[in-house]
Amino acid sequence: SAGGLLPTRAQAQTTLKISHQFPGGTLTEGDFRDRLCRKFAAQVEAETKGALKFEVYPASSLMKTVAQLQALRKGALDFTLYPMPYGGGEIPEMNLGLMPCLVTSYEQGLAWKKKPIGEALTKALEAKGVKILTWVWQAGGVAARGTPVLHPADVKGIKIRGGSREMDMMFKAAGAAVSSIPSNEIYAGMQTGNLDAAVTSSTSLISFKLEEQSKSLTAARQKSFWYMLEPLMMSKTVFDGLPAAQQKALLTVGESLEPFGMEEARKDDQRVAEIYAKAGVKVVDMDDKVMDEWRAIARDTAWKDFADRSAEAAALLKLAEDVA
Amino acid sequence: MGTVEIGLLYGGATLVALFAGLPIAFALGSVAVVFMYFFMPAASLDTVTQNVYEEMASITMLTIPLFILKGAAIGRSRAGSDLYSALHVWMGRVPGGLGVANVFACALFAAMAGSSPATCSAIGSAGIPEMRRRGYSPGFAAGIIAAGGTLGILLPPSITLILYAVAAEQSLGRLFLAGIGPGVLMVVLFAIYAVARYRREKAVATAAYAQGGTWSELLRTDTFTARERFAAIPRVLPFVILLIGVMFALYGGIATPSETAGLGAVLALVMVAGIYRIWRPGQMGPILMSTLRESTMLMMIIGMSLLYSYVMSYLHISQGAAEWIVGMHLSKWVLLAAILALVVVLGFFLPPVSIILMTAPVILPPLKAAGFDLIWFGIIMSIVMEMGLIHPPVGLNIFVIKNIAPDIPLRDVVMGVLPFVGLMLVSILALCLVPGLATWLPGAVYAG
Amino acid sequence: MRAAELDKGPGAARLPRGASAPVRWAGMALAWTNRVIATVAAVAVVAAGIVMTEEALARYFLHHSSDWQDETAIFLLVGATFLSAAYVQSRRGHVAIEAVGGLLPAGVERVRRWVADLISFLFCGFFSWKSWVLCHEAWVEGYATFSSWAPPLWIPYLAMSAGMTLLTLQIALQLLAPQAGDAPMEGRAHGHG
Ligand code: NA
Ligand code: NA
Repeated sequence: SAGGLLPTRAQAQTTLKISHQFPGGTLTEGDFRDRLCRKFAAQVEAETKGALKFEVYPASSLMKTVAQLQALRKGALDFTLYPMPYGGGEIPEMNLGLMPCLVTSYEQGLAWKKKPIGEALTKALEAKGVKILTWVWQAGGVAARGTPVLHPADVKGIKIRGGSREMDMMFKAAGAAVSSIPSNEIYAGMQTGNLDAAVTSSTSLISFKLEEQSKSLTAARQKSFWYMLEPLMMSKTVFDGLPAAQQKALLTVGESLEPFGMEEARKDDQRVAEIYAKAGVKVVDMDDKVMDEWRAIARDTAWKDFADRSAEAAALLKLAEDVA
Repeated sequence: MGTVEIGLLYGGATLVALFAGLPIAFALGSVAVVFMYFFMPAASLDTVTQNVYEEMASITMLTIPLFILKGAAIGRSRAGSDLYSALHVWMGRVPGGLGVANVFACALFAAMAGSSPATCSAIGSAGIPEMRRRGYSPGFAAGIIAAGGTLGILLPPSITLILYAVAAEQSLGRLFLAGIGPGVLMVVLFAIYAVARYRREKAVATAAYAQGGTWSELLRTDTFTARERFAAIPRVLPFVILLIGVMFALYGGIATPSETAGLGAVLALVMVAGIYRIWRPGQMGPILMSTLRESTMLMMIIGMSLLYSYVMSYLHISQGAAEWIVGMHLSKWVLLAAILALVVVLGFFLPPVSIILMTAPVILPPLKAAGFDLIWFGIIMSIVMEMGLIHPPVGLNIFVIKNIAPDIPLRDVVMGVLPFVGLMLVSILALCLVPGLATWLPGAVYAG
Repeated sequence: MRAAELDKGPGAARLPRGASAPVRWAGMALAWTNRVIATVAAVAVVAAGIVMTEEALARYFLHHSSDWQDETAIFLLVGATFLSAAYVQSRRGHVAIEAVGGLLPAGVERVRRWVADLISFLFCGFFSWKSWVLCHEAWVEGYATFSSWAPPLWIPYLAMSAGMTLLTLQIALQLLAPQAGDAPMEGRAHGHG
């Protein structure tokens, strides 16, 4: 009986939903990953003269982090700014988005897009219903309760949270006891001491306020073994259903935000070092020599694990290595 | 149809489904699915099961069954009645001593468990029968446990404070410390009320008996010799050891907050096996089956209510309401009152975890801009959400009580918890007048 | 509110004369299945506790990595929850608000209960169907978790699908024969283990 009052599905779709797991803020303030989504929304809305409107759902307020990928692929969710490695269990290619020491600078990461690796990855994801609109790379560091984690020998015997399959493999090979503690328990874990160190993005190192429980920070200002691909992704089903003009607006605005993403990620690499230093935490930086030590381990563990999955995976890794 | 109409329809449909007597879990789930069908992309229906699975498949959430197991091992074995009889020997002289002991027990368990229903279940499974056996009115007994159980999310560790800390970008350490002062305040208020209410119930029982009415267990006065008192001590020892063991593991860096749940359950089972010789399947049966019943009931409600909140979030209902409040540009304290009122209304339908996830991103920036300390607000919000746990229609603690004592009518339970809702309001007022109750401790610990 | 009409006495254990033979057989088969599964689920909950204890102790004392325990515990607990849902339903243990029940005339009250069960049945049926679809997808596509251990996801999805299907059957039985569906009271169900 209420049928007449109900909007059609098509109408309900004119407002598109962007979901992510990071703290919410405004267009100008807060976590840059949230700001990137809001900028994207505002610019596309202007570009399409209001034909496309957006709602941003920060802090997993729409659905759980991991559930976003399936929802996106099936067309139940329009956009997500999503850490690639979380999708690795579902789409193995996504594991490349956080392969330790594979990418060690922003320039190198952003170069992927125009190189064969970028094309191959884009193709693989589109086959699974995922369209990348904005390539965002983010570096990360290590907060530790004790001495800084710099060389592989530094993690021997300590309890560390790598946060991804690949990081964990590398740390295990270096002699660490890896912990699968959920990210929201990192603070409590470091406080009570059942976690000695945690690796995560510079931005999250700031928002988790781990400086309160750390003695040392390995910052990502110069080099880092932790570069994560965290793109703004769109549901291909939804994208394909839009008129060409709107598709173009989405692609253009998406690409135009890439410099913003890199700049802000860089700023956070600096900011985290300043915040931690101010709290009395010892801050150290990684250099090329250190990077080589870790790469040697990563190559035999995480990289090998990835390449061993299939011939396609091995070829993909090779393409990524080609981007120096 | 606008957000307001959809929101009203959603709330209305939920009330109809709940009061039609559908099990809470299925009521929330079916309302969610129906609205999904009409108002969301068709593909949403294909994501229902993965969403529910992902909501449940978090080790933080799944500590609930283990905390319930730990509570059941004590509460559903002779261990629980032993403990209470020992407490009776020592606190029997204090009017309402047993009620006070239950409030304290809730607080102690809350310091180990991160969830309120788990706390409620753990203490209630022995506490409610024990209080009723000693003549406490059913509503009173239920009220103490339901309200005492809510301390689970206010005293550290707490699942909801963890989520709040992440959403509000506040220090979890400070937030946990901030909960202690108000938690202690509430323990004191609850204990005072327990004494007062006991005295009144006893006076009524005495008068009734004097006029030829029935005998009430409240009138029994047991006196114990010093020898009996000392003999009772060993019966408390196992619990003290269990308590210290778990606290030591948690705060001494051996176990993560989640692991503590598993460790506590195993220790409790080992304890009842070692001391009370409860280890044969036939003896373990009642403990395990009651754990299963309670935790399955709760986890199904939690899983489905997160599906329910997914739909609510997608339809922008709670966000819309929060944005509407924020958009009115109210003065500082009116803004706070309006936001808390919203949390109360959401508390009718949603457990704390869902409320935080949905509203925090919208309400926190304006509150911060209005000059409120977000640590302080986190505690206020937790107390308001605690109220939601003990009022119908969706009040997880009430459901736990119904499982423990199915014969207490809903009316009695609701009347029993009402005074405690009042005390929670008093605590909120006190926190508004004296913010230091929450902010002093974290400030002192993190000074400099 | 009916929290659990579980302890309504031994009378509940007997199947009513009114129920047809197939319904009675189905009721007995389901009651037996539920009993077995509930026992397994209970063991799974304890096992989850042991696994998490091992996790803490092995990391603290032996400095072992804790990479498989959390997910094992999750699988055990999610599995226990879904698989025991039918057992809980057989005892009407999924809490409902029955405040309205007392106010209605007996005939209307019977209809209300029946409609509540019907909607529950439809919802759980829908959920079971979608669970099987998800389980199948995870099996075919080889979904796994994203940890370094990476166990396949069809395992917990299978538990979810099977558990919700049993639950749907249980409610169907309670719809067909309101008494037959309600299993024997607590205590008898597991006292012989
Ligand atoms: Na707690
Ligand atoms: Na409520």
